[in-house]
Amino acid sequence: MKYLSMTNQRLMALASVLGVVVLWFVGRLFPETVVGEIFTTGMVARSLRLSVPIALAAVGGLYAEKSGVFNIGLEGLLIFGAFTAAAVSWELGGSQISQLDLWIAVLVAMAVSAAIAAIFAVFTIRYKANQIVAGLAIWFLGLGFAPFAAIVLWDRVNSPSLNGIDTIVVPGLSEIPLLGPVLFEASPFVPITVGIVILAYLVLYYTRWGYWVQAAGENPEALDTAGVSVNRVRYASVIFSGVLCGLGGAALSIGFSEGFVGRGVTMVDGRGWIAIVAYLFGNYNPLGAFGASLLFGGVNALQIQLQTIGVSIPNRLSGLFPYIAVLIVLAFVGGTRIPSAAGEPYETESE
Amino acid sequence: MNALGRLRGVADRMATASGGERLLIGIGSVLLALFIGSIIVFAAGYDPITFLLFLFWGAFGSAGDVAFTLRKTTLLILAGVAVALAFRANIFNIGVQGQLVVGGFGTAMSIIWLAPYVPSGTLGGIVLMLIGIPIGMVCGGLYAAIPGVMKAYADANEVITTLMLNFIATGVLFVLVDGPLKDPDSPAPKTVDFPDSVEFPSVVLDSSRFSLYGLLIALAAVVVVSVVMNRTAFGYDLRTSGEQAEAAAYSGVIPERMIVSTMVFSGIVAGLCGAVYTIMVLGYYQDPGVTPTFGFDAIAVSLLAANNPIGVVPSSLLFGSLSSGKQFVEINQNVPQELVDGIVGLIVLFVATPELFRMAGRRRGDRE
Repeated sequence: MKYLSMTNQRLMALASVLGVVVLWFVGRLFPETVVGEIFTTGMVARSLRLSVPIALAAVGGLYAEKSGVFNIGLEGLLIFGAFTAAAVSWELGGSQISQLDLWIAVLVAMAVSAAIAAIFAVFTIRYKANQIVAGLAIWFLGLGFAPFAAIVLWDRVNSPSLNGIDTIVVPGLSEIPLLGPVLFEASPFVPITVGIVILAYLVLYYTRWGYWVQAAGENPEALDTAGVSVNRVRYASVIFSGVLCGLGGAALSIGFSEGFVGRGVTMVDGRGWIAIVAYLFGNYNPLGAFGASLLFGGVNALQIQLQTIGVSIPNRLSGLFPYIAVLIVLAFVGGTRIPSAAGEPYETESE
Repeated sequence: MNALGRLRGVADRMATASGGERLLIGIGSVLLALFIGSIIVFAAGYDPITFLLFLFWGAFGSAGDVAFTLRKTTLLILAGVAVALAFRANIFNIGVQGQLVVGGFGTAMSIIWLAPYVPSGTLGGIVLMLIGIPIGMVCGGLYAAIPGVMKAYADANEVITTLMLNFIATGVLFVLVDGPLKDPDSPAPKTVDFPDSVEFPSVVLDSSRFSLYGLLIALAAVVVVSVVMNRTAFGYDLRTSGEQAEAAAYSGVIPERMIVSTMVFSGIVAGLCGAVYTIMVLGYYQDPGVTPTFGFDAIAVSLLAANNPIGVVPSSLLFGSLSSGKQFVEINQNVPQELVDGIVGLIVLFVATPELFRMAGRRRGDRE
């Protein structure tokens, strides 16, 4: 029963990815049709771009949960990352900033989100805080402190317009038909994300470290008996989720936009929550999580595409596509098998 | 004594034994969060003492401030009770915000559509409210049923579904209020105004946006919910399925049905919050995106109250004062009010971590 439903889930993921690919080909073959107008190379590139912050947060979140800590604060960590990247690049050079300084801002954003994730880890692992409530607290902290700091820095919740990180064209590879312009004539965040996803997959399933992460969430006692500190593995995984959220947040504010937007739910706008669904949908597999992120990115891009070709759906309505997609996905794959020790603090015998 | 009765005794004892400790943890969390907030205020170059004084002064300094504080308190009580009763059953209803904007919408539309059919004047107003408020409650309950059913029968994580439904409710209702249901004479996205007779008379403090009746409705909801939780079979099942899910299953509770009915119960209270907000504060319906985030603040309210419906009252008063104090601080001391939202986040973080205070207490005990 469980096996069957998991197969269904993979089939569904595969079918949706295949469906998009087919539509894209049909679109290339008949560019004059509606399909051709919607499924352009530009839209595929945009889908990839939009999926970057979701995919990064999702890979981080799945490592944390695999190790036994449900990090529901991804949204907050993304907010901290987005704000920090914008703030640091403003401090380093304002609108005249160099590309090198922008990358320094990205690194600082990763460090800050990692530090916040470390605080979350201390509270949940050391002090056994309720993981869901502490994760919500991280979200609240981001929603409160990032706009606060923005006002202190810029006198308003949004940053002024900032320089973004340039598109990188890889000579040669960008000439590859179809794939080239999508992957190798893009924001560097796109290939970086693809690389991290593949690496995360290999580490999780083919290295000793990955085995430890899985054991910390599935069978902490066994890991403890083997002489590996469960809590240390969990700390590392949670901090890793912070690092990736910092990168994802930076991609949002200085990678694809021109600064930080702190109005309302901030520019992160629910992507951290969608990331959680993405890794659930991907059944805790980094590749699956990336596929799901692409799906949400694609839904988002579709909405933009519909607007540009003039299909009249009110802006606010078509903006809801990703959220509705999440609901539909959850209705079908709600029952993923979560790591058995996830959500529970681990108590060593020696304590 | 039968097994059920014994279980009930155990549950009651647990609730009272940890009550005092919970209170201390709550107070400790608030003080610690305010302390860290003051450090941040200081680091940002403002005077922390003035900040704390202004926070208090802004909440209680004048009759208008008190009215504002009590208005926030009223709505936080309702939203807080909605969150608390779901948390008690171990269900994280993060969707109170969505449920309350849907509830308020139900109330508003029923009042607007029925207004031509009832006589004008006080009596007509009362009739409209007597119809509109229950309709708002039903709408809130139905909207909460969606994530309830999804959790019960598809095992979908309610934290995420309720959040998505918040986004969806806000977006869809905005499109309605900005389009087909828009007041043609208004430039803003809002419906037409309610008839003048639809309002709660202010009674005290002479504020057009706070009424003692609103506060009384909130307090009545607290009483009803705590009676249901503590004196009925449903409330008993609800609490045991939160505290000891296996014991609840043994005593014949069907978990799926319990999840759905808990969500609906919670959504009904959230819907009442939306109804009171639209009638007492607005007098029309507007873009739900600008509705204050009572539903999220209520999570902090409920946690600080240890998810106890009666504890929600003082907890709401605290967060109500913070929220009216923060505007005063921004105007008079230039400290951005978003800081207070961050402090609320810190309170939540500390409240979630009773172990922190227990360890701190133990350590001090060791030294003595």
